[in-house]
Amino acid sequence: MTSRLKRKLNDLGVDTSASKANETFCLIGTPLPPLEKSRDTGEFVPLWKQEVRDEKGRRRLHGAFTGGFSAGYFNTVGSKEGWTPSTFKSSRTDRAKQKAARPEDFMDEEDLAELRDSQTLVFQNEEVDIAGRSLDVDNEQDSMSLALERALLPTPKDSPATKILMKMGWRHGQGIGPRLTWRQKKLQDAQAKSTRILTLDDLKLDPNEEDEEAQKHTYPRADTPLTVVPRKDNTHGLGYTPGLSLNDALGNDHSNPFGPQISAGFGLGALNDADEDDVDIYDPGPSSRRNLTAYETGDENSYHHSISQKSDPGPHMNASRPRNTPLQRFRNGEPVLPEFVLAGTPVTDDKWYPLEDVPPGWKPDPHRVWDEYDKENEPAAPVPIPGNKGNLTIDQRGQALGETPLPSKARSVFDYLSQKDRERLKNFVPPKSRPEEPTPIATPLSAPEKPPAPRQFVYPRIEPSAAKAALLGFKPFTSDPVKHARYTAYLKSESEVASDGDRLQLKQKPGQDLEHFQLELEEYAQAATVFKPLSGAMAGRFTTAKTVEQGPAVIEGLHTPSHGTPPTETKEPETKMEEPENAKTHAVKHGMYGVLTRETSVWVPVRLLCKRFGVKEPETEAREEDPGPSSKAHNEWEPEAASAEVELVSADSGGASSSAAVSQGTGGGDRPKPRDLDNIGLGEDETQGADILTYQRPERSIFKAIFASDEENSDDEDQAKAEDTDLQDTSVPAPSGPLAQHPKEDVQMDVDNGPVDPATFKPKFVSRAERTTDDNPPSKKRKKGKEKRKSGKALVSFDVEEDGEDTTGASKPKDKERERERERKKKQRSKDKDSRKGVDRKEKQDEEVDDDEMWVEKTVPEVVQKMNADSSPEPPKEKVETSRLSKRMRAEDFM
Amino acid sequence: MAPSRGPQPLARTLHQTLKAHKGTVNVATYAKGTAKYLLSGGQDRTIRLWNPSVGTEIKAYSGHGYEVLSITISHDNSKFASSGGDRTIFLWDVTSGNTIRRIGGHLSKTNVVEFNQEATVLASGSYDATVKLWDLRAQGRQAIQSLEEAKDSIQTLHIGPTYIMTGSVDGHVRTYDLRKGELRSDFIGHPVTAVVPTKDHQSYLATTLDSHVRLMDGSTGKLLNDFKGHVNTSYRCRACFGFNEASVVCGDENGVVWAWDLLDATVLQPNPPPRVHDKVITWTEHHPIEAGEMITASADGLIKVWSHPK
Repeated sequence: MTSRLKRKLNDLGVDTSASKANETFCLIGTPLPPLEKSRDTGEFVPLWKQEVRDEKGRRRLHGAFTGGFSAGYFNTVGSKEGWTPSTFKSSRTDRAKQKAARPEDFMDEEDLAELRDSQTLVFQNEEVDIAGRSLDVDNEQDSMSLALERALLPTPKDSPATKILMKMGWRHGQGIGPRLTWRQKKLQDAQAKSTRILTLDDLKLDPNEEDEEAQKHTYPRADTPLTVVPRKDNTHGLGYTPGLSLNDALGNDHSNPFGPQISAGFGLGALNDADEDDVDIYDPGPSSRRNLTAYETGDENSYHHSISQKSDPGPHMNASRPRNTPLQRFRNGEPVLPEFVLAGTPVTDDKWYPLEDVPPGWKPDPHRVWDEYDKENEPAAPVPIPGNKGNLTIDQRGQALGETPLPSKARSVFDYLSQKDRERLKNFVPPKSRPEEPTPIATPLSAPEKPPAPRQFVYPRIEPSAAKAALLGFKPFTSDPVKHARYTAYLKSESEVASDGDRLQLKQKPGQDLEHFQLELEEYAQAATVFKPLSGAMAGRFTTAKTVEQGPAVIEGLHTPSHGTPPTETKEPETKMEEPENAKTHAVKHGMYGVLTRETSVWVPVRLLCKRFGVKEPETEAREEDPGPSSKAHNEWEPEAASAEVELVSADSGGASSSAAVSQGTGGGDRPKPRDLDNIGLGEDETQGADILTYQRPERSIFKAIFASDEENSDDEDQAKAEDTDLQDTSVPAPSGPLAQHPKEDVQMDVDNGPVDPATFKPKFVSRAERTTDDNPPSKKRKKGKEKRKSGKALVSFDVEEDGEDTTGASKPKDKERERERERKKKQRSKDKDSRKGVDRKEKQDEEVDDDEMWVEKTVPEVVQKMNADSSPEPPKEKVETSRLSKRMRAEDFM
Repeated sequence: MAPSRGPQPLARTLHQTLKAHKGTVNVATYAKGTAKYLLSGGQDRTIRLWNPSVGTEIKAYSGHGYEVLSITISHDNSKFASSGGDRTIFLWDVTSGNTIRRIGGHLSKTNVVEFNQEATVLASGSYDATVKLWDLRAQGRQAIQSLEEAKDSIQTLHIGPTYIMTGSVDGHVRTYDLRKGELRSDFIGHPVTAVVPTKDHQSYLATTLDSHVRLMDGSTGKLLNDFKGHVNTSYRCRACFGFNEASVVCGDENGVVWAWDLLDATVLQPNPPPRVHDKVITWTEHHPIEAGEMITASADGLIKVWSHPK
């Protein structure tokens, strides 16, 4: 902002730094109206527009001044007449009954719902005072723990069932059932003690003992004790008490009278389980001590039993627990904290077992133990274990039973194949590789397997067929050429026996004694049997390697490059390629269509195809896979892609025949992120305004098409229009006069800002306070100015051509200053637009003058100003640009 | 009367000769339904509608720029589709003779087209080794799906109620089972030029270029029967079933129509059969309903309608 303008504003009392002065009135682009469905529901609505509606969408309040609460049909009652009118009818035969009106009759749905809400249910997990904790204070607990318990535990509530029972006369501690007479009560008590079923006659009642008073009353039944099974949170076995020695556990040692015996107290009642920790419910003590009764042991005042027990605990309790003795001390002499009691029994029982007596002279020798174990692990003599049937084969079992073995040959893999499979396998064999006769495996082995103990020279023989086959098969001694040669010679000699009656024999190597020769021949014989080619189907699966890997041949001496061509291995991959097809073609050759020629794979038909065929889509694992771009593009209409397409089209062809382009429909997949239709024009739309900012100037032909018909020199209106259409096309008057430095500075300032970030840039205008009293948009102002211009000459219009005329005719000194200001203003405008585009402009100096009263420049930040002042040398590039700006493009220039 | 067992003798009496095509007749197919009419397409780029019983040409449909290789007729006989040397598939209106739609998408000549049973999907197999499935309900330009498993030119194609069967030069018959979502490819070993399934869709007849016609089991891929004796090594000669699927009929490259018993694969009498065409018989089709009617189309430009002697 120029200092002049600032001064002017200051004179007028405008705070240039105020936010109001920095208001922006410039909008880029036209924001789309918000979409209907994304309207903010929490939007502010004035009070008078607000409507109260119930959950069914009916209006709740209407009537006078909308405050009226109209009951009746519209809101509450189901008929137009209001509550269903009921005629009062009463006849002699049918007397009208007094119908008691319930409150529910006058309630509407909401009221009923409220009523329903108020009826809360008691849930099972609510704290219920089962043990009657609230009733009787546990005297055994000391005050501290009681206080703790009260504080921590929620106040117990009686369950509804308890409440009902209480209403029926039941009290805590009583059993459930009809009350008993004195005699019945006695009987029940006796029954509880004895094991057999008693009747009333069995009860010997001492009439003297009978209390007159007692017989007058009925008594509640004895309570059934609640068995509270402690949770088992250790890993001991059932009934095991940790820390007990074997004797203790067996109950032989009664040295500890207060140990498990306490369990005798169990069964006295659930109310009496204060020392439950001490009680071992699995205590295997003498059965006499156990309480086998389901009822409490009933004595005369069994009803008061529990309370009296609480009030005076048993003697052993007192003994084991010295209470309220502040003199207690730990072992190390420290006094026990008040309100705390020293535990009578240690937390963990440390058991010490006496060490074994080590015999004198004993040495640790683990081998002794290991050897012993090894002896065990050694396979024991084949002692048939009768129970171990599973490990025996059928043959073994048969042997054990003394069955005559089935007449079977030596078993081979083929014996386990079915006849059909064997035939199939036979068919597999290419005829040339099939051996002449089945080679018995065992026979050739017989010769070399003879015990070599006598060391008599036996020339090992093999079957000629085997030898032939071995000749064709793998040669194990290829790495040793001499041995290889001898091996082949041996095989040849063995195979040619058929033609001659007499076999040729391999001679000893010179210097080879007989024994070694024997060994060598044996080796050959064995190798021949081992490495004879596979028979049957397997034969076709293996091929002998074409080349023998012998490692790199080391050439002695200096290296001389050989001229021989290196061995090429081009055939290798070809054979590899044929491999999978070979099996199939082989099968086809033999007419074995079926499993071998068939391949089954998963194929996923497109959903649409299934639909067209009227077939349910197959449920394959591959269903999730994308059916492929080609099909998908057609399959379902994707709004994103479509919108992207439309966008592309409109951007590229400038709105020309967009519909045709859309129908071409090649999926616009190359766009990184298609626009979401829901977001357009809203805050979430990241790309909002992006296409405006990245706007590319249309080609000249378009301008030509639009503006060619008009004559430029006469029609200034069109020119102005062109200016509006082409946003870049604005004019900057060249700096002239004494004010020239100001615009220059402005331009430079713009330059110093560097490249304009289109995403964040927002041009700002500062309105002059005294003129812009209303909030009219600039266009309106323009019009106003125009009108004013027409009415009086004193005011200057915003419109360009009129200004042009005006300035040409204006020679008044008063206008001069105004004109300068206009020019400056104009410059500012163009600069602004310039920066908005980020493109260099070609400007033409014109006589156009703006209405300078309308807009003033925004304050330049102080930093920038300072920079401008400091940076005296202008970058040369900018100079060029400013000079270029001196010429303004006309519409004809585009042609 | 012929014996009740075994196939009926083949119709070998010439009933009509339809000659209007110039050059090879590549395809001749009966209309659907009662099959009163016949459509044929040939090297002369025309498709002709015939009345085979009378022997008159009713209409000629011209529009193709190259030879016509395949014709398929919709179930209601209202339209048909044709394909050929031009890469576009033509969808014709039978009565008006206009093309309803031209579908392009293949990269080379389209050997075969086939409607599905409701004529909502059109499958086309091409020399570019793909089968493309086109949706006829919608006007999209993209195929619904493209089956690209074949490694060589697709020669033949059949659409069953729930499967699509293709035969390719790579020697495979591929069955795309829509219901199972499974592709079963049977290796025949030789270029497959025609696949004709039986009516129960349990087995199919595969004509291959090794002069064999094979009856294959569709479910297991096993060879049920092998018919040989004819010569078929380089042209597409379509074999078909005789009446009631009791026999197999195939015209060979010498212009001889061979017939075999379906069950024992013996050549039906006369053996060897007489030569009826001068050139390769490209298409043999038995009348779907009529017992004694059959057509053969040949490279000599003739379509012959055969029947039993009256």
